[in-house]
Amino acid sequence: MIRFLLRRIGLAVPTLLGVSIVIFVTIRIVPGDPVASLLGPTGSAEARERLTKDLGLDAPIPVQYVKWLGNVVQGDLGRSIAKQTDALPYVWEAFRNTLTLSIFAALVAILGGIALGVLAATRRGRVASGFSTAVSLFSISAPQYSVGLILIVYLSAGRGWFPSGGMRNPTGDSGFGDLLNHLWLPGISAALVPLGIIARMVRSSMLDALSADFVESLRARGIPEWKVRWHAFHNALPSVLTIAGLQVGYLLGGVIFVEIVFSWPGLGLVVFQSISQRDLPVIQAGVLVSALAFVVINLIVDALHGLMDPRIRR
Amino acid sequence: METATPATSSVVAASSSPAAASPDGRDGTGQPTGAVQPTLRISDLHTVFRSRGLTVAAVRGVDLDLHPGEITVLLGESGSGKSVTAKSVMRLYGANASFSGAVELEGRDLLSLPPKEMLAVRGAEIAMVPQDPTAALDPLRRIGAQLVEVLRQHKVVPNKAAAQARALELLDQVGIPDPKRVYRSFPHELSGGMRQRAVIAIAVSCDPKVLIADEPTTALDVTVQAQILDLFQRLIAELHSAVLLVTHDVGVAEEVGDRVGVMYAGRIVEFGPAAEVLNTPRHPYTRALLDSIPTPGVERGRLRSIVGQPPVSGEIPAGCAFGLRCPHAFARCRSVDATLISVGERRQAACHLLEEEVSA
Amino acid sequence: MTVVHQITDPTRPGAVEDRPDEVPAEPDVAPAATKSIKRRRLGWPARIAGSVCALFFLAAVAAPLLTPFGPLEGDRSQRLLPFFSGGHLLGTDGQGRDVLSRIIWGARPSLLTGLIPVFVAGLVGTVLGLVAGLGTRRINSIVMRTLDVFYAFPAVLLAIAIAAALGSGTSNAIIALSVILIPPIARLAESEVARIKSADFMEAARVSGAGWLSISIRHVLPNAAPAIVVYCTALVGLSIVYAAGLGFLGLGVAPPNAEWGLMVNDLRQYTFSAPQISLVPAVVILIASVAFNVFGDGLRDLLDVRAEGK
Repeated sequence: MIRFLLRRIGLAVPTLLGVSIVIFVTIRIVPGDPVASLLGPTGSAEARERLTKDLGLDAPIPVQYVKWLGNVVQGDLGRSIAKQTDALPYVWEAFRNTLTLSIFAALVAILGGIALGVLAATRRGRVASGFSTAVSLFSISAPQYSVGLILIVYLSAGRGWFPSGGMRNPTGDSGFGDLLNHLWLPGISAALVPLGIIARMVRSSMLDALSADFVESLRARGIPEWKVRWHAFHNALPSVLTIAGLQVGYLLGGVIFVEIVFSWPGLGLVVFQSISQRDLPVIQAGVLVSALAFVVINLIVDALHGLMDPRIRR
Repeated sequence: METATPATSSVVAASSSPAAASPDGRDGTGQPTGAVQPTLRISDLHTVFRSRGLTVAAVRGVDLDLHPGEITVLLGESGSGKSVTAKSVMRLYGANASFSGAVELEGRDLLSLPPKEMLAVRGAEIAMVPQDPTAALDPLRRIGAQLVEVLRQHKVVPNKAAAQARALELLDQVGIPDPKRVYRSFPHELSGGMRQRAVIAIAVSCDPKVLIADEPTTALDVTVQAQILDLFQRLIAELHSAVLLVTHDVGVAEEVGDRVGVMYAGRIVEFGPAAEVLNTPRHPYTRALLDSIPTPGVERGRLRSIVGQPPVSGEIPAGCAFGLRCPHAFARCRSVDATLISVGERRQAACHLLEEEVSA
Repeated sequence: MTVVHQITDPTRPGAVEDRPDEVPAEPDVAPAATKSIKRRRLGWPARIAGSVCALFFLAAVAAPLLTPFGPLEGDRSQRLLPFFSGGHLLGTDGQGRDVLSRIIWGARPSLLTGLIPVFVAGLVGTVLGLVAGLGTRRINSIVMRTLDVFYAFPAVLLAIAIAAALGSGTSNAIIALSVILIPPIARLAESEVARIKSADFMEAARVSGAGWLSISIRHVLPNAAPAIVVYCTALVGLSIVYAAGLGFLGLGVAPPNAEWGLMVNDLRQYTFSAPQISLVPAVVILIASVAFNVFGDGLRDLLDVRAEGK
């Protein structure tokens, strides 16, 4: 198991390197001349040369990349243009809030998806299966910003059942009840797409497992139906988990829109504000942190998969 | 479609047919009826599947008695209904299957048993050894846990510790050299032979009265096959269970079978002591089946395959089901179905040719 | 089913998954029992969805004929009028502009930024897939491992990063979306090529001495195309949602113009004062997304049946 994990971590290293190259490329494709934009139109030729040298822009691109990567590894993700502070602490603070929301949404998506999927797989008949297909299709197609706004209008603005925003500091000490109250609507908005996908996956894996030969053997041994289904569910779980883990990763993307709609002080909101201020270092730091989290989540999912299925633990 | 008639109506048709052997069908066989009551008595079993508006009669009136300590073989090609017969006994099919006739376990009709009581019968009184041991085990549970689950389910042991002890004992009993290791193993960590032994251990764990083995050696290597068959015979001698063994392998039937029923298109076409049926077949289908199998050491010239295809379960022709492929078929075979008649001591066959012989 | 919900790997089992309601095939029962009559027409949900998609395109093309008001024409004194008032079917926005007219005009950039990336990525992805699938082992691994890197990002984030770096504007949004749509299409194309490569007729073509290019154009492309086209169709719904998302973030069309995502962001400030109007663009995007997904889904089912029929 330890060796299995180490190998997975080893495999993640090239992926991370690739990620860093892609982000470096997005930094370099910024149109226009950074030196000119920093100096303004009045800069002299000597000043230009000096600044180019200071910024390391005279070095060949690979050298620039290595230097940049060295900084990133040391936690230096550049400085925010708008805030004039280091980007990482600023982004990290927001990322913790994003994580809170994402974990909540992931729980909603996984539990809801499993419930809906198991229901769809075990309840026979056209109506039930048609209904669950429609529900999952709809939730997969629903953009997070649309769902968020609809929820605000119908459950918050008109009724006042849930707050539509106003969460200033989710990790602060406003109490768990308050946090939960603020989490429901954004959590559901972010969870809907992965919920639908997980439901579909659970349904098809459950149906696969239920049609496996060992299920008939269990029935032939006089095992009651609910226990047989539990066996099938156990067998469906590893593949469901893989998809679910991937979905949790994708949550980090979709959650951006949710945070904007609900003014949730997370990475999405920070990125949104930075877009209008053209604060590129912050955007890049945000993307880098998210990508890192994505890779880590995939690693955890792999490890869990290995734990749950003895056959792949080699 | 002839087979679209509900099974129940064909029950009447079968029993009212004058050429049929007497309703219980056994008196003519020379079996000592009355002396030993059969453990399991299958009478005029019909199994019909319905799906998407199609009706398929997979089993069309099977009579069979299973006696303790005796291995009864159902021999036939795939699609002949032999496996369906075996699984119908355990009522392993869902809502799309319907049964008629009777399956009596020591006098109790299983087909009319409430589902809950049937649950208690499965695995405890009637156990099954399935075809592929790899597929028959839950891949994510250790062998020991799967054994304990069955033991605890049927409450043959008072507690968990006893179940574990009994499980180890069973693994030892089926000839597993290292029961403790196997107890802790996942199915994929064992060889095919070991897995089949484990599956057999699960099947015999509750001392079943009836053991149904569905092609128990098909998925195994030839060398392992012989070992498993030996184990099987030994266990049956010990447990004194009545065994229904389903196979397409004439060699297996010959080696372990006490009696054999040859199935074709959902019916038994020939029945009798294994050695006699397989050495001196009476029914043209049995003969054709045996001719299509190479016999090592015996020079038979060319192997003959049976002309044509077995009928699809949904499209059984009028008259004798084998009629279209039978080299000896005559006019009557195309219009009237043949029923089992006694053709010698303890032997039955369903063929118009033999009817004429008998009446002559 | 092929509703593409996210940029996941279309070739991995389970990535695009669903199965019809199972009909347990009876073991030991001859094949005729499981033979079933399959319909060869689009089901009614797909037909309705297809009509809705067609309506959207029609609206985009015929915008000047359909709209009573220009997309930018507004009267501040007529702001936030409710539905069905003064000839404004869907009310007016904060600047008194007719919401329905803006939605119809907005269909143009919204559908284009959704469709063009699928088209571009379809072409580039197919070429990459062909190169990887027909090239040497080395070429294959270079292309495929490079594509793998893109799976380490949530696709939306990458699109945002690229679009933000390039700066706002429709063409930059299209570039960003094209980039993130290429990897899944290329993977599908590569796996299709791999499948076709193992077919018998390929062996025959190779033995007969046909060249690399001729093989790929004559044999591989026609056989790989249906799966790729269907997958691309299924991507349209997602692409429209992403395009509107970029517009929502201010990375698409510039403000006074009408575009659905931008309208969502513009109108959400009236969530409390004019809740119904604030929802209009959000609901339109939702309808478009569902319609394109259901239609793509139906198309897939239809094509699968054809493939089975052969």
